[in-house]
Amino acid sequence: MHEALLTLGFGLVAAAILSLSALAFTLEYSVTNVANLSHGEILTVGAYCAYLVQQHGGGVILSGLAAATGGGLLALAVHNGVVDRFVRKGIGGLPTFIATLGVSLVIQNVLVIIFGASNLGYTVPQSAPRTIGPFLWTDTEIQIMVSAVVITALLYVIIVHTRFGKSLRAVSQNRSLARVSGINANRVAALTWLLAGLIGGYAGFILAESVGTFSPYSGFSFFLITLTAAVAGGLGRAVGTLVGGIIVGIALEFFGGYLSASYNLAFAFAILSLVILVRPRGLFVGGRRSVFE
Amino acid sequence: MIDYLVTVLTEGSIFAIMALGLNIIWGWSGDFDLAFYGYVALGAYMTLALTIGPATPPTTYILGLSLPFPIAVAIAIVSAMLLALIVGAIALRHLRGIYFSIVTLGAVYVLYIFTGQFVPLFNGYNGLSGLFDPMGDFFGLDFSSYSFFYLGLCVVVLIGVLLLVTRLNGSRFGVALRSLREDERAAAAFGRDIYVMKLKAYVLGAGLGGLGGALFAGYLSAFNPSAWSPVETIILYAAILVGGRGSTRGVVLGVAVMVMGLQEATRYLPEIANQPSFAPALRLILTGIILVLFIRFRPQGILPERRLRDQDPAGKGDAAVVETAVTGPTLDTGAA
Repeated sequence: MHEALLTLGFGLVAAAILSLSALAFTLEYSVTNVANLSHGEILTVGAYCAYLVQQHGGGVILSGLAAATGGGLLALAVHNGVVDRFVRKGIGGLPTFIATLGVSLVIQNVLVIIFGASNLGYTVPQSAPRTIGPFLWTDTEIQIMVSAVVITALLYVIIVHTRFGKSLRAVSQNRSLARVSGINANRVAALTWLLAGLIGGYAGFILAESVGTFSPYSGFSFFLITLTAAVAGGLGRAVGTLVGGIIVGIALEFFGGYLSASYNLAFAFAILSLVILVRPRGLFVGGRRSVFE
Repeated sequence: MIDYLVTVLTEGSIFAIMALGLNIIWGWSGDFDLAFYGYVALGAYMTLALTIGPATPPTTYILGLSLPFPIAVAIAIVSAMLLALIVGAIALRHLRGIYFSIVTLGAVYVLYIFTGQFVPLFNGYNGLSGLFDPMGDFFGLDFSSYSFFYLGLCVVVLIGVLLLVTRLNGSRFGVALRSLREDERAAAAFGRDIYVMKLKAYVLGAGLGGLGGALFAGYLSAFNPSAWSPVETIILYAAILVGGRGSTRGVVLGVAVMVMGLQEATRYLPEIANQPSFAPALRLILTGIILVLFIRFRPQGILPERRLRDQDPAGKGDAAVVETAVTGPTLDTGAA
């Protein structure tokens, strides 16, 4: 029982990172209907920005801000430079999806040229783990979870209680209808991507903090798990995605702890395929399934 | 210089075979399959595992039967097709658009991690090696003439594949495939069994992928997981898109431009100190940029697929039915 609780504790850390990443992905999807295959690179760029700040003596807070800024700017650039142009020209979801795969390839390899393909790591001094109730967490892990909860709460307030959040929800439900109601849909979409990039960049930073090392490819591998969480929760649905992230994060940690950590990603995809095949609209939506899903 | 040319042409022929296989799946049938390189890899692994001798510790792998190369290639193709039958049967049943792509991406990652981690299968991350100059002894070839022989073999196989693909292109099957790429509901309304047709196309394309992989294994004489990171699939897609999706001539041109051309264009870049990965990384950056630009500005590619003509004026044949449906390739197939 004790061991199970310890694993649950690590699972909560994984769930915090995964939920942020999945929330960012689902925000991108909700306003443009494009599954952004370069989402992982937002995380990677965030991790590298934080690394640069740390190299110049910045602390954890400064690094986190740098990661968020880098991720946000990248997401905005991908949206305005590629995705928005494609959406406006009426190029459909699948071709845009393919294009974002190309964008991902470009970003990964630009990072390879600048930083090299090898693993880098932060020089964050690891404190001894603290015992909190039945759990065992380091200071970094506590920082990860607290910040994730705060960010999620902020996001909830933004989406539910602000004018921008209202426009966001309108655009995500029906872009054309939102436009004829006087909402500047392109601006809302761009701002949403910026917001998603801020969250994604920060998620990249805490991911690298928690794993210990990162490379130009780590964002893409993590993106594959993100996809599992987002699809399990229902693409484009924020609350479902949050729950999906928590469930998948904890499930993966138990799988890794009790079976084999090396097959983790394979296990994630087994979940993903099952979910898509059985409930393509997500676990928490009582929708019918359609052949043309 | 001659050696160099032989290398480029051999690689080009092998990649053209793979791209023609993928073109059946994406170009004709319209499914954006990210698992394709898994079939290539399985073809390569099976060829190696069947032609080399039994495993000696510390290496471990299955088979090791020392079979002749052609028999091994045939079995490798069949294995790739069987794997595609399983993946396709699951993924094509209900999924289209990005959901199909995501599941196939998942399938290839599971396969990739499994071959890397599960050492008894294909020796894990170290991979298989030891297939030197297949059929060289049989024809009594020495080292210098062997590369010419293998180029000849690849070109002959490529010509065979081209003949097959061209024949399929104008066949009822090929025409019907493209009709359901354009409008699945309409094709279903005309009595097509969409699932079976898409699955057939998928398995056939994977078979060509396996063939390409088998030839690649003979050419490289070794294969391991670092040789087939899922990125390779994107390069094949870029080749098809640039050449002309759905068009056989286009795909061959696309491979010439994207695989051979880009490789050669970046080969003579000045070496940068401490940056051994500069040229490959630059190549992938260019591939990504070209991919995005072509989807945006010329989705039909350099040599677009020809519009189908009505081959049966009486209006009884398949082609006549399709004439109204096929209006040239559009990229968006299936509701995403």
